[in-house]
Amino acid sequence: MGQVPPDSPSEPTLERLLEHPAIWRGRSTARTATLGTGCRRLDEALPGGGWPAAGLTEILTARSGLGELRLLIPLLATLGCESPARWAAWISPPFEPYAPALIAAGVPLERQLVVRTADPAWAIEQALDSGGCAIVLAWFVAVATAHTRKAAPLGALRRLQLATQRSHVPAFLFRPLDAAAQSSPAELRLVFEPSLEGGRLQLLKSRGGERRPLEILWREWSAPNRSEPQPGESTRDIHGKT
Amino acid sequence: MARRERASSVTRAFRGPRMLRPLQSPQPQQRPQPLQRPEPLLLESLFDSAPESWIALLPRRSPSQHVPQDEIEFVDSALLHRVASIAGSFTSRVSLELPDALLLEVRGSFQLFGGAQSLCLRLLESCRRAGVELRWSLAPTPLAALALARAGCETIVLARDRLAGVLAPLPLKVLAWPAATVARLDAVGVRTLGAALRLPRAGFAQRFGQQALLALDRLTGAAPEPRRMFVTRERFRAQCEPGFELCAQSMVLQYLEPLLADLEEFLRTRQAGIDLLMLRLQHHDRPPTRVDLRLASAELLAKQFRELLALRLSQLELPAPVRRIELRSGPLQALVTCSESIWRPGEHGGAAGRESPALIERLRARLGSAAVYGLCLVPEHRPENAWGVAEPVVGLASAPRSTSSEMSRRPLWLLHEPEALPSALQGLKIVDGPERIETGWWDGREIARDYYIARDEAGAEIWVYRERMPPHAWYLHGIFG
Repeated sequence: MGQVPPDSPSEPTLERLLEHPAIWRGRSTARTATLGTGCRRLDEALPGGGWPAAGLTEILTARSGLGELRLLIPLLATLGCESPARWAAWISPPFEPYAPALIAAGVPLERQLVVRTADPAWAIEQALDSGGCAIVLAWFVAVATAHTRKAAPLGALRRLQLATQRSHVPAFLFRPLDAAAQSSPAELRLVFEPSLEGGRLQLLKSRGGERRPLEILWREWSAPNRSEPQPGESTRDIHGKT
Repeated sequence: MARRERASSVTRAFRGPRMLRPLQSPQPQQRPQPLQRPEPLLLESLFDSAPESWIALLPRRSPSQHVPQDEIEFVDSALLHRVASIAGSFTSRVSLELPDALLLEVRGSFQLFGGAQSLCLRLLESCRRAGVELRWSLAPTPLAALALARAGCETIVLARDRLAGVLAPLPLKVLAWPAATVARLDAVGVRTLGAALRLPRAGFAQRFGQQALLALDRLTGAAPEPRRMFVTRERFRAQCEPGFELCAQSMVLQYLEPLLADLEEFLRTRQAGIDLLMLRLQHHDRPPTRVDLRLASAELLAKQFRELLALRLSQLELPAPVRRIELRSGPLQALVTCSESIWRPGEHGGAAGRESPALIERLRARLGSAAVYGLCLVPEHRPENAWGVAEPVVGLASAPRSTSSEMSRRPLWLLHEPEALPSALQGLKIVDGPERIETGWWDGREIARDYYIARDEAGAEIWVYRERMPPHAWYLHGIFG
């Protein structure tokens, strides 16, 4: 308290109080811990300058495989290098994660854990609570199509949001576009659409992020070892050893 | 000063030549009846001692059956194995002498157990507690110990130079030689070991064979006797048969509890863990229900097994009431222990957690072991073979990989099976290609494809290929998502 200047006695204390991560004031950006996305413009658009480090992020796409996974590849590569080795859990992915492409993108294969389940919510919660995962990616097709019980997804999402905050592990849910109409307890929700050489991001819910759609190009991502198609070598023959 | 004198006098008395001391039990009141014998156990203590000390144990089938002292009694191997596992806590050098005996080399354990006398008493005590009645003796060579035990002399002979004297009065029968040899020796008036040892060596070998001479040499320690050591059971196996049928999983779990406690004890004594536990639930007239529990790393705690088995059993529907529960372990693995953190990861500012086997075990217990896997790279040119499912390994250091820029672009997603596309390729725009990938004649899955990177009408980049063989069909194989 000795450092507080006498002319504004209460101001810095209040400022300091408001810096608490649990407090979020209307239009201001929330001060949450974040993880860099690998793209400077996306970092600037997201509240706190990156993906939420502890919280649920929903990425909504018209269908799987439009390029939404590429958004997270730099993060997977960064988390793969951190020191206490932890898993990156892929829970009920729609296709097989292709090892050669992951390696080419700098994602360490030995830390990837694929889980195939019809009940992703349970597996996500286990992964988050175990303390053994650095990041959880989940494809939430099953919950979104559970029309029979409308309350179930919201309850499940709420549980997951609490679990991510408890464990300080980011969880990313990939959901279909029609989930945009439902409310969600997620920290960050965004819609991704592919465009030529990149994608268009629209934040649906964020604590003070940009509301305008954001056009990003894959080439501005500073991901390690991003291999672009080489114009010079169009045809390459690969023959087996004979 | 007085104390030192007393101590030295005790030592002198103990070390004195031909000093025979009665062997005393440390807790005489706890000692049950069967092994109380008319003659006292004797310790022959001498100046020099042999490099080895062998205990021969001759278990008896049952106390009710009276067998003459020097007869060879055939006991079943299960009993021998049981005694061997008891003996295993006194020495690691246990050897079976089929059909009736067990030999233990205990020289190295004297210091730990406070001398030969105390070691023998404790060994006999634990055998008695396990309900095994036996004859025994300790001698510098295995054969001598066996001969003494067969003759019923329960003595401890530590020195080799005393051996011949102790063995001399024993009948030849204790060597278990062929009856013809014993009869021929008997015919020449040789009825004791002493008489046999006094015969001239060359003549003995000529008449009764080199093997017989070698046996005598081994008896006295003149020739070494290498022995094959007994290896204790490396798997756990237990069963429980309640008197009635178990209908509910919770009942099965309740009856599993003591078996799991036994398993933990078994593993703990071996300082080992298992990563495979097999449970068989036997029904009345149906094939048994099998539950195989695979763990991501070696475990030994009963609590952990119970938790995982409970998860598995809750997923299981019992086809019929359970009559019998069998539990078996997979191969034992050396246990690597490490301390756990006080706080849960993230809690109270605790350090970030590590990748832990517990997560994989929990997921697998509920989803099945095939549903949880890691990824690996396979050096293969065919796209569908270039990756593989790997066992998720905990604590594998991530090796820095040099990604070759030579490799052409690959999609992040691969379809399980290539999906046929309409040949017209409506709405698809070829972005890059072709990349020709072909052959695979060595395993019968030959391919001949031209791969292209294309963009579909939604704007997604996809990986398609065209068969080079006649119908020239187009397939979707990957997605650059």
